Amino acid sequence: MNPRRSFAAGTGLFILLGFAALVFLATQTTSVANNYQGDTYTVTADFMNVGQLKVGAPVKMAGVRIGSVTAITLDQKSLLAQVTMAIGKRFNAIPADSSAAVFTSGLLGDQYIAVKPGSGINPDDPTGPPLVLHDGSQFIQVQSALQLEDLIGKFLVDGSPAKK
Amino acid sequence: MMTDHTSQQAPPLVRVRGLTAHLGGRAVFDGLDLDIPRGKVTAIMGPSGTGKTTLLKHITGQLKADSGSLQVDGQEVSGLTRKGLYDLRERIGYLFQNSALLTDYSVFENVAFPLRQHTRLPEEIMRDIVLTKLQAVGLRGAAQLMPSELSGGMARRVALARAIVFDPMLILYDEPFVGLDPIALAQVLKLIRTLNATLGITSVLVAHELAAIQQVADHVYLIANGKVVAQGDPHAIADDGSEWTRQFFGGEVDGPVPFHYPAGDYAEALGLAGEPS
Amino acid sequence: MSAASGRRNWLLDGLAQVGDAGLFLPTLLAAIPRSLRHFRETVRQLWFVGAMSLTLIMVCGLFVGMVLALQLYYVLSIFGGTAATGTVVALAVYRELGPVVTALLFAGRAGTAITAEIGLMRATDQLSAMELMAVDPVAYVATPRFLAGVISMPLLCCVFCAMAIFGGHLVGVTWLGIDNGTFWSNMTASVNVWTDIVDGVLYKSLAFGAVVTLIAVHQGYTTPPTSEGVAYATTRTVVASSIAILALDFMLTAFLT
Repeated sequence: MNPRRSFAAGTGLFILLGFAALVFLATQTTSVANNYQGDTYTVTADFMNVGQLKVGAPVKMAGVRIGSVTAITLDQKSLLAQVTMAIGKRFNAIPADSSAAVFTSGLLGDQYIAVKPGSGINPDDPTGPPLVLHDGSQFIQVQSALQLEDLIGKFLVDGSPAKK
Repeated sequence: MMTDHTSQQAPPLVRVRGLTAHLGGRAVFDGLDLDIPRGKVTAIMGPSGTGKTTLLKHITGQLKADSGSLQVDGQEVSGLTRKGLYDLRERIGYLFQNSALLTDYSVFENVAFPLRQHTRLPEEIMRDIVLTKLQAVGLRGAAQLMPSELSGGMARRVALARAIVFDPMLILYDEPFVGLDPIALAQVLKLIRTLNATLGITSVLVAHELAAIQQVADHVYLIANGKVVAQGDPHAIADDGSEWTRQFFGGEVDGPVPFHYPAGDYAEALGLAGEPS
Repeated sequence: MSAASGRRNWLLDGLAQVGDAGLFLPTLLAAIPRSLRHFRETVRQLWFVGAMSLTLIMVCGLFVGMVLALQLYYVLSIFGGTAATGTVVALAVYRELGPVVTALLFAGRAGTAITAEIGLMRATDQLSAMELMAVDPVAYVATPRFLAGVISMPLLCCVFCAMAIFGGHLVGVTWLGIDNGTFWSNMTASVNVWTDIVDGVLYKSLAFGAVVTLIAVHQGYTTPPTSEGVAYATTRTVVASSIAILALDFMLTAFLT
């Protein structure tokens, strides 16, 4: 029972606990948690308008997170916003004709990409295995972010009968 | 019996010449001259506030003088580097009035502290040295106690064991007799005598108690107003005829040390000056 | 020198204290190489300064997280945004409350202990005794405590934040019924590891730890060697640390963002 050794042991425990807390904070409560979800494959989608969508925003299907946005760039030719997403490898049966939409969580929450499943039926072989998204696929059907300003503008124009 | 130590052949261990120092704007030393001879017990006495403790701080280099010279073992203390000063201090034991034991450590660790800091001795040897020193002050059995569990006299003896752990050439005792009961006083006196006699350690005592000093000291300096005002054999000094020694050792109320702190005219301070009676 | 004039010049007095503490910092830092010889002492101080504050920090962190979640849930439910409860708890705690509250608690728990201990060592001549045993009291007493404080604060702050998240989860998910997945995924979507954890939790708590322990060590080291002086120095440690923490917090926030 050396008192000096017990100090050292207690101090070591304290330092370990501190670092464990730091590791927890850094990896479980930040965007780092999203970056490391195993192997992913990349798909893209072109939107007219991505609104406030940010890199790192979640990609969800039926409310469940399946991946995240890794890049948002402007395609100079089509003048569309090209969004690149990393989808977890284990979500390997997403129908190829699914649609992607930029949604807002809650009224003022952050924006995310919602994937609505399609049928996956292969038009060339309707009875064959369904077509699924794979690395390099692109969402054909997309729905841009709902802009609050557009909505208000629409309301003012469409609601014009009230003026007359 | 030694009456005039200036006839000593060996050079003194501590030589003070023309030491002048100020503390808080007040002159503490005004051309102080004194010698501490090797292997002897020298007592320094004087009224409170004359800088007896300050002199010890000058010897250990904690304070620097304005002018004058202070040599310990031939080295000018004020000219030492930090390293040189620390080397010197390792050869000086210092006994504080309140013992100044490290409250965090046991008696054993307190005595071992200088060894742990300055040497890399194996634990076995360190333990032997510490127990030897504790045995010398009669407290080997108290090695595992904490300072808070000691009486004042025991704490002072532990501090003494710590001060001699490096077998110093010089021990400075700052008021070693204050607050001790007669038994503890006798024990401390015996230790001072023994250490001086057996190890030949030069000792400097700062104290007020003439009776105690007469039992151990070989020579006494009486300091007042920043100077040595009297010196000599402890048994004879009280009768050397100067008014300083008469007031100090006779315990007279008034004398060279006035009863009244310097002040203006009394009548004037009371608003009575110039008034018709 | 009199107490009355000291009171009248409290502003000058305060400025002099700041300057004095600032000048003490190089002394402390210069003693680091020498204090490494007494490395065990630093480890021992890590125990007293850091580990002994752990219980306080954990309990307070838990309650801060719980009350934040409770308050935010009711405010956010007005906008139908209760899903953001975890996010806001995390951001508030990482950026402000974690470092600031940890530092204030640390000043009260460890800062006062450091000041009182060093002040008492000064009052009982223990520091002079070390000086006379050829042991540098700055390297043996002051610097190990300073290092321990600087190392402990970020660790304590991380523990505080983790407990606050746990408390927020307890109230938000277990009690008020926010969906567990929503709680975490909203949080992970909005919290950034660099701007929130590194800039917020780590940099701030490191700076606060340095300032609080510098003040505590300096107050203890320069206290008048009387029981009254030690009591007064302990009070001043808390007052000066609190002001310094909040002022520095404003400056760091302005600088880091």
